[in-house]
Amino acid sequence: MAEELRTEDMTMNMGPQHPSTHGVCRLVLTLDGEVIKDCQPVIGFLHRSIEKMCENRTYAQCIPLMDRFEYCTSMSCNWAFCLAAEKLSDIKVPERGEYLRVIMGELNRIASHLIFVGVTPMDCGALTPFLYTFRERERIMDLFEMTCGQRLTYNYIRIGGVAKDIPPEFIPKCREFLDIFEEKIRDYEKLLVDNPIWIARNKGVGIITPQLVYDYCISGPSARASGVNFDIRKNDPYSIYDRFDFDIPLGTGGDCYDRFNVRVNEMRQSARIVAQALDHLPDGEIRVKVPLKFKPNPGEVYSRRENSRGEMGVYLVSDGSTKPFRIRARGGSFSHLQAVPHIVKGLKIADLVAIFASMDIIMPEIDR
Amino acid sequence: MVEVIRQFASGIYNLLLGMFTSGKHLARHAITVQYPKERWEVPERSRGMVVLLTDHETGQLNCTACLLCMRGCPSGAIDIEVEKDEKGRRHLKNFTVDFHLCCFCGLCQEACNFSAIKLSRKYEFPEYDKKDLIFDIRKLQAEGMDVPYEKPVRKKVEPKPPAAPSEAAPAQPSVPETPGPEKPPSSDTPPAEADGPNPTEAG
Repeated sequence: MAEELRTEDMTMNMGPQHPSTHGVCRLVLTLDGEVIKDCQPVIGFLHRSIEKMCENRTYAQCIPLMDRFEYCTSMSCNWAFCLAAEKLSDIKVPERGEYLRVIMGELNRIASHLIFVGVTPMDCGALTPFLYTFRERERIMDLFEMTCGQRLTYNYIRIGGVAKDIPPEFIPKCREFLDIFEEKIRDYEKLLVDNPIWIARNKGVGIITPQLVYDYCISGPSARASGVNFDIRKNDPYSIYDRFDFDIPLGTGGDCYDRFNVRVNEMRQSARIVAQALDHLPDGEIRVKVPLKFKPNPGEVYSRRENSRGEMGVYLVSDGSTKPFRIRARGGSFSHLQAVPHIVKGLKIADLVAIFASMDIIMPEIDR
Repeated sequence: MVEVIRQFASGIYNLLLGMFTSGKHLARHAITVQYPKERWEVPERSRGMVVLLTDHETGQLNCTACLLCMRGCPSGAIDIEVEKDEKGRRHLKNFTVDFHLCCFCGLCQEACNFSAIKLSRKYEFPEYDKKDLIFDIRKLQAEGMDVPYEKPVRKKVEPKPPAAPSEAAPAQPSVPETPGPEKPPSSDTPPAEADGPNPTEAG
């Protein structure tokens, strides 16, 4: 008698050096054929102990470190840290400083979403949008470079304001970018949104229900794609976001396709905010003077802001000295990665790649 | 059956639309730059190599050895050796920037009240040997010779209550009494300690 035929599960490592893991993430997959039975993310490959390093540095020296917290949206990380320090010591930022922060923060959100819009199709096999989005991203990088001197690690937002005023050629160049940008977004949509291959890869794949959003603390565009209307800019306004007129794009299905479309539409809204901020940009001080040895009041504070990946919060404990006693930074990606094993069970490996890309997970934010 | 045909037609149309969108780019010039042959002009504020600036009138470094840049550096890339003469004045002996550690954040430039240190626009300085990336004072001064900068606008120093008004104006660059090789032009200004009279913007 022939031995009974049997199958057994196969364990496979996806990563750490896999091009679609957006950083260095290892996913231990248990496969039944091509169907994923279990997925176990292993994190920590990019750990740089930024939070611990901040404890040995003064508040001003922490800001360049927060650039490296999540390098796609350095401006937002600077801002989140400065918000916490300002909340702790009741510093009021001047009007022009707030407007410049909003302009830079929203341009940075566009730059981050442009990476997403380029990289997600590339993971699914479409190379062309990547080239187009990075062309537009370069223009934003140019704007940042002429303002603060760097293209990636800006170190621009300071406690009490911003580091430098914008150069005179910034505003015409920024308006020029905003004018062409709407047409470029339409180009990305022409390439992808109704494309049958793109729809087949993404529609109905990796559905996140609103219940799952609450269970796993998913925030940002990934949550809004599931129909959860939560945006910190609207629900818990910080800075001067209550003065601008913008919409929150919402999805209905919560699948990869919706998560892509929500981000594309969010770029439009961010462009609207930048245009309004440029129109109403007041003159005056950009920064309040804070002493060289900045000592916030003792206490602890949690401040949060809407990052391009979700809620970016900084929990800051101060003992009244020049150095923070403890910093804990929260990025959206950690919660998103937690939810991935739940979503991918029963799907195929190709779907996992699409889901992982559509959640806009970035590893340095998780490992810190 | 009609639905299938409609879907098929729509799919073909959208594929052709995408091809047309990317096909438009066949007719335009390349926007990329062939890097080693063509270069961009980097903006004025671009943060590149750290250099030490020289006062072209006196030929001496602007640095007063106040150590503010060293304290402001988040990565400990700057190392300054200071020596004191018999009158207790501080002289700059050596100034080292370790470009392995430097993160080009620009905090040193911001901490400096005397326009002595600046992040220049030079962005490519790779070396074959690691120790060649540790720049000493001569190298930093030589690199900073042709870097344009604005003369420091000396901030008004608020006089301390007991101080005489004559002491309250050290802002003018006074002629150094004892000529030293690295003598800064205003070395009789009290070194700007953390509680010194120079309000700085390094928050």
